[in-house]
Amino acid sequence: MKRFALGAVSALVLAATGALAADYPAKEIQGIIQWGAGGSTDTVMRSVTPHAEEILGGTVVMQNMTGGVGAIALNYVADQSADGYTLLMGAENPLLYKVMGLGKKDYSDFVPVNVLARGTPILVASPNAPFDDYAGMMAYIKEHPGEVRFGATGPGGLPSVVTAMIETIEGDLDVISVPYDGDGPALTALQGGAIDVMPAVLGAAIEGIRAGNMKPLALFDVAKSDKLPEAPAVTDFNAAYNDYLPWGPFFGVFVAKDTPADVVEKLAGAYAEAATNPEFVELMNNRGFTMMNIAGAEAESFLSTWQQNTTWLLQDAGLTKTSPEEFGIARPGK
Amino acid sequence: MGAFHDFFQVILNPELFLLVGLGTFAGVYIGAIPGLSVTMAVSILISFTFSWDVLPAISLMIGIYMGGVYGGSRTAILLNIPGAPSAIATAMDGYPMAQRGEAGTAIGVTTVMSFFGGFIGIGVLALAAPLVSDFALKFQPRDYMLLAVLGILLVGSLSSGSLVKGIFSGALGIGIGAVGMDPLTFTERFTFDIPLLTQGISFIAVMIGMFGVSEALLQLHNIDLPAVRQKIDRIVPSFNTIKKHLPLSLQTSTIGVIIGALPGTGGDIAALMAYDHAKRVTKNPERKFGDGAIEGLVAPETANNAAVGGAFIPMMTLGIPGDAVTAIMIGALYIHGLNPGPMLMIDQPHMFWFIVGTLVAANFFMLLFGLTGIKLFTKIVEIPRAFLIPLIMMLSIVGAYAVNNSINDVYWMLGFGVFGYFMRHYGYPLGPVILGVILSRLLDDNWRRAIISEREDLGRFFGGLFSSPLSTVLFVAVVLIFVSQTPLWTKGKEMIFGRSNRSAS
Amino acid sequence: MDPEFRGDADHHDGTSDATPGGYADQRRPGELVFAGLMTAGSAALLWNAYGIAGFDALSSPGAIPMATAAVMLVTSVITLVRTIGLQKVAGETLAKDILPMIVLVMFVLLVGFGIALKPVGFLPTAAVFLIISMKIMARRSWPYTFAVALGSLALIWLVFRIVFTVLLPAGIVPESEFIQFFRSLVQAGAK
Repeated sequence: MKRFALGAVSALVLAATGALAADYPAKEIQGIIQWGAGGSTDTVMRSVTPHAEEILGGTVVMQNMTGGVGAIALNYVADQSADGYTLLMGAENPLLYKVMGLGKKDYSDFVPVNVLARGTPILVASPNAPFDDYAGMMAYIKEHPGEVRFGATGPGGLPSVVTAMIETIEGDLDVISVPYDGDGPALTALQGGAIDVMPAVLGAAIEGIRAGNMKPLALFDVAKSDKLPEAPAVTDFNAAYNDYLPWGPFFGVFVAKDTPADVVEKLAGAYAEAATNPEFVELMNNRGFTMMNIAGAEAESFLSTWQQNTTWLLQDAGLTKTSPEEFGIARPGK
Repeated sequence: MGAFHDFFQVILNPELFLLVGLGTFAGVYIGAIPGLSVTMAVSILISFTFSWDVLPAISLMIGIYMGGVYGGSRTAILLNIPGAPSAIATAMDGYPMAQRGEAGTAIGVTTVMSFFGGFIGIGVLALAAPLVSDFALKFQPRDYMLLAVLGILLVGSLSSGSLVKGIFSGALGIGIGAVGMDPLTFTERFTFDIPLLTQGISFIAVMIGMFGVSEALLQLHNIDLPAVRQKIDRIVPSFNTIKKHLPLSLQTSTIGVIIGALPGTGGDIAALMAYDHAKRVTKNPERKFGDGAIEGLVAPETANNAAVGGAFIPMMTLGIPGDAVTAIMIGALYIHGLNPGPMLMIDQPHMFWFIVGTLVAANFFMLLFGLTGIKLFTKIVEIPRAFLIPLIMMLSIVGAYAVNNSINDVYWMLGFGVFGYFMRHYGYPLGPVILGVILSRLLDDNWRRAIISEREDLGRFFGGLFSSPLSTVLFVAVVLIFVSQTPLWTKGKEMIFGRSNRSAS
Repeated sequence: MDPEFRGDADHHDGTSDATPGGYADQRRPGELVFAGLMTAGSAALLWNAYGIAGFDALSSPGAIPMATAAVMLVTSVITLVRTIGLQKVAGETLAKDILPMIVLVMFVLLVGFGIALKPVGFLPTAAVFLIISMKIMARRSWPYTFAVALGSLALIWLVFRIVFTVLLPAGIVPESEFIQFFRSLVQAGAK
């Protein structure tokens, strides 16, 4: 017993001193990745963190913690002590947990260390689809109601937001919405002809488009991307999209809210520098992500604007369980 | 000429060759320890090999993959705990063999057959990748659903006790798989408003609990019996044994390649389907299935290793992962600056041949490491039960925790261990439970996709079954297998062939 | 012999997963209670599955759960009715053949392991578990038990925690400080 007691005491002492930024990191840092191995969040985090480790002079042990659309990982990190030794490596969707009834916590319980990058949505169709661009698709849907099959990834996923955006602007779409687990399986189904149209992230679709296995209908951004110049921007078809775009999923590193400011600063510094590493930038560019690399107040305001826009879009499309108003999320000002 | 050079690159470069060997060696042990999965090892390697060149990193990963798929059979045979889900079917006949003192033979057959299956998979990958991937893409939600139904009919051959209890177990498994938040609609299912249940029940926790802990608890009854002495005179199976099972292993390898190449199904389903196939086509096994039939080892082990080559087919030709491990490898290729996708074969043909060469090398290493050290391994079973049982229990706890870093998984694992203990006592087969859990999502998700695509119209759904040749073939297979398992069939046969045939069925 | 029973009648203790235990034509102690519990459980699941979406649509998230729960209910009722009609196995008792003392003791130890794992941490809990259970079962000397238990624990910890960086619950043991200390030491030595 004596040994255990000694161990406990020394742990306490170490934990108390560990909170001081001067010798942070005094022990291993846990990085909890919200999504499974091999996904975009996983790839991004596993490729930026080694650079950050070098700058920090510590070790970040990364673990995938999946389940509950990422809510499990978020709650786990929120429950750990706010000492900067547990990082949450996540994507955009926690900002929708409250309105979708998936959890009671979101990024307002965290401090952003770095919002690394964002993705651009793109509408792609199977090569056999009887239309070649966004305008053609809209016309075809009007002529053939209830026939076109759209891929979906559950309420709150990127396809649901993009579809909500289209319905807000163009009026209701009479299409069949076929649910998949994620955009990977849905894009596979698109190539096999099980669905006709899929709203996806540019990075996930770009190789398939290059090979001619799927065709781009419209890029959901205010301008064309230089990665894929043949895809027209959706604003060229309907200028009303300018109100909602640019919009896209993002990746970020977060720590619990009451983490000492100097620790956050040290982490933010490390990740900000890591995110400028040329290898990492090139990787992100290749996958069609737009680098953001923002922290502090800038990141906070980005997050709250994103949450306002998206939750109200979903609310107006009737996809939410609880109104954003209940959580004090104000309707975005026009 | 370029292709030949790329193919042999891994053998000509000592560093790469060494890494494949090291990876395969590590893979065998990772695969053998329940809770340490190849998926986990490969994703850790991504950070670890981050600063390396792409070729060494891929060599190491492929080695681990190949070794890991094989390694799962070790603990399945020796301890009745499948080290990986793809080894579940191996436990069914491998463990009874170990209990007879034939663990050495079982491991020997498993190794040689894994090697054989691995080669078939690689061969198909090298020679027919574009063809197979076109075929795999043709599978529509309806076809995946029929495939799942086909899988569920395996309950009949996995439950040699009461068939009614077997069906109950299978349905229970499907139910367990449905617990938690439905990933397609976020509706809570079977959660009884308990927050713990919304996360669902980890498949690995169920597997480790039902196979590992319940077996350990059962062994407590014979704690004072001396451990089974293992005969190790015969490890490498004779040429005759191999020749005898050649037709079967060709068939089961084909099953493995196809199931492996389908996105969304992997070695676990392939192994179970192959096991069922073997049971169906083997007319007179030397020993009954479930008692240590060699065919019960040949089928799943050829199939799950053939599935490795199969899983690379959609990855190399389309950039679509064939299973969880290839999904991570795609991520690794991105990190190393390649863009996996349909253009990879055209932009970087050397990568394709390099991967084929590495797989071949890994397969040889697997044979080497599989056939050596068996004596040492079989010693595990000779550890006195009083020490072995607590160790199995602790390993089960660590393994269940490690899968998802979740303490809840440990509770589930223990709960299912106790539940499985009672099921064993009262004659409920455990195989169908695991089968149900594996197939639950495949069946449920694809049923919904299929019926949604047909606008909720059953008439259109059945019409669709006959509009595509693939669906028709699968549907006919489902009907035939179903009919052959019902009493109606037996009665019909009796009427035609007379009562004398009864004992044969 | 029941023609429906296709298993191996010799193994009543479930030798392997393909040949489950039990007798085809006799009932073991507690089997009736178990069959009853399964029936009740299936009924509860069916009710719960109906609650997911009712008979809303063929594609509703409740469709397959309802179908499976219905299958469970039907098969468990058949099993229950059959079990009621069977005779009890002569000479078997619950305490002797189903739940002997050692099984109950291990149940308690396992549950204790599960409860203590998180607050106390993996290393102390596993050490205590291994030492107690090995001592009870093997009845060897204390030093021998300690050596085997702690030796195997150290091996498993090294593989999982160091090689595979699985973060086992640290509890009261300052694991990560400890590991970082050695890492720094090794790094300092390398420089």
